[in-house]
Amino acid sequence: MTTNLLAIKGSRDGLRLVLDAAAPWDSVVQGLEAQLERGAMFFHGARVTVELGERDIGDDELGQILSVLRRHRIEAAGLASRSRASRDTARSAGVTLRPTPRASTVDRDDRSDALLVRRTIRSGQVVRHHGNLTIVGDINAGSEVVASGSIIVWGRVRGVIHAGALGDPGCFIGALSLNPPRLGIGDVLSVARGDRARNHPEVAQVIDGAIVFGPWETTRLR
Amino acid sequence: MSRVITITSGKGGVGKTTSTANLGTALAMQGAKVAVVDADIGLRNLDVVMGLENRIVYDLVDVVEGRCRLRQALIKDKHFSDLFLLPAAQTRDKDAVGPEDMIALANQLRTEFDYVIIDSPAGIEGGFRNAIAGADEVLIITTPEVSAVRDADRIIGLVEAAGKGSPQLIINRIKPRMVNRGDMMSTDDVLQILAIDLIGAIPDDETIVTSTNRGEVAVLDRTSRAGRAFSDVARRIAGEQVPMPTLEDEQGVFDKLFGMLARRPRGSER
Repeated sequence: MTTNLLAIKGSRDGLRLVLDAAAPWDSVVQGLEAQLERGAMFFHGARVTVELGERDIGDDELGQILSVLRRHRIEAAGLASRSRASRDTARSAGVTLRPTPRASTVDRDDRSDALLVRRTIRSGQVVRHHGNLTIVGDINAGSEVVASGSIIVWGRVRGVIHAGALGDPGCFIGALSLNPPRLGIGDVLSVARGDRARNHPEVAQVIDGAIVFGPWETTRLR
Repeated sequence: MSRVITITSGKGGVGKTTSTANLGTALAMQGAKVAVVDADIGLRNLDVVMGLENRIVYDLVDVVEGRCRLRQALIKDKHFSDLFLLPAAQTRDKDAVGPEDMIALANQLRTEFDYVIIDSPAGIEGGFRNAIAGADEVLIITTPEVSAVRDADRIIGLVEAAGKGSPQLIINRIKPRMVNRGDMMSTDDVLQILAIDLIGAIPDDETIVTSTNRGEVAVLDRTSRAGRAFSDVARRIAGEQVPMPTLEDEQGVFDKLFGMLARRPRGSER
């Protein structure tokens, strides 16, 4: 999910939006807007750090970014910039400054590495990852797990779960028992199936535009 | 090594104050020096449960704001000379103290007591955060009800995020007969969801209501089943290996008799 103007990076300390440092500013803002629109499922309620690279921005440009983020219910965790002018702008606006990671470039297109989470995801907690995600532990009721890639859960799923949340319907979700109140893959959503809990390992994937659940042993992944 | 232990639950009315009073008293009965602290500022009731409400002169907020010394605010228990209560202020609210005040208070109490047991308010806001701020360990109380377990799950997440390690669990008000009938979650059902260590299972016991109203805690009454269970929890806190009785298997005399009668025909067929 990379355009030439924007890259999404996931790391252990949260998501980063890397904006192209050379392209015309208006097209970068439009690209950001479009990306957040497409990835609404993924970004809703997230905290992101915005990386600007070498670009100089003033109060107006910073205001534009913040208002786009706000409109999409995204919290700006901070700003990373190599430009002194941009850093001064952020500082005077009260935006937290973050360091720019050394290897951060726009042209590297890939999901970040798969993430392994070894704990129970409890009510009120959100796990969000750009890439594939494996959770060893239960996803309890009242929690939310969102990934831009596929999700495997070595445990029970009773919370909201969404794979391929940047709009990739080719992702799948597998779990030892799959009883979420809401499950999403790409842009396709499915709400809880009946009252009876299912207690065997299952896989969910999108087939012909609908979410299909199948037993782990016999399901062929597309 | 003194220990500061906070008792919390998320949901209200599941037995935080009762547990604090009983565990504090049980630890004192074992010979430890114990302070119980009511951190539920504005809704104080640990004093009532311990029967000490008429002896309050100063409170926790007075100590924090420097109107009195800690010793002046500590109230000696009616039964044990090494058990003290630090009462909450009733005329103030949760904003009267901050986490750093509670850390300082806990550290001050730590120098004089073996155990400091802090009773937390319900909820996940400032009052709860104050109550766990100074804690070394956290005990979570729940009842075997879906809503209480859900709130406990939320609280466990917050306690872990606060860097307090994995809390231990007390399941309160278990009704063995309802569990046997499948009408109530069993301890195993609760543990399967919460995935933390169990330190106590307390049976539902009507004598708790009368003992609470009289201001006499249940552990003082040797005939109280809940009181005995709380004493066991206190011994486990102190590091003793006390087996966990499986409440679900306990059956009334009638059930046992019925079970014997029901089994007999099968035996005679052989």
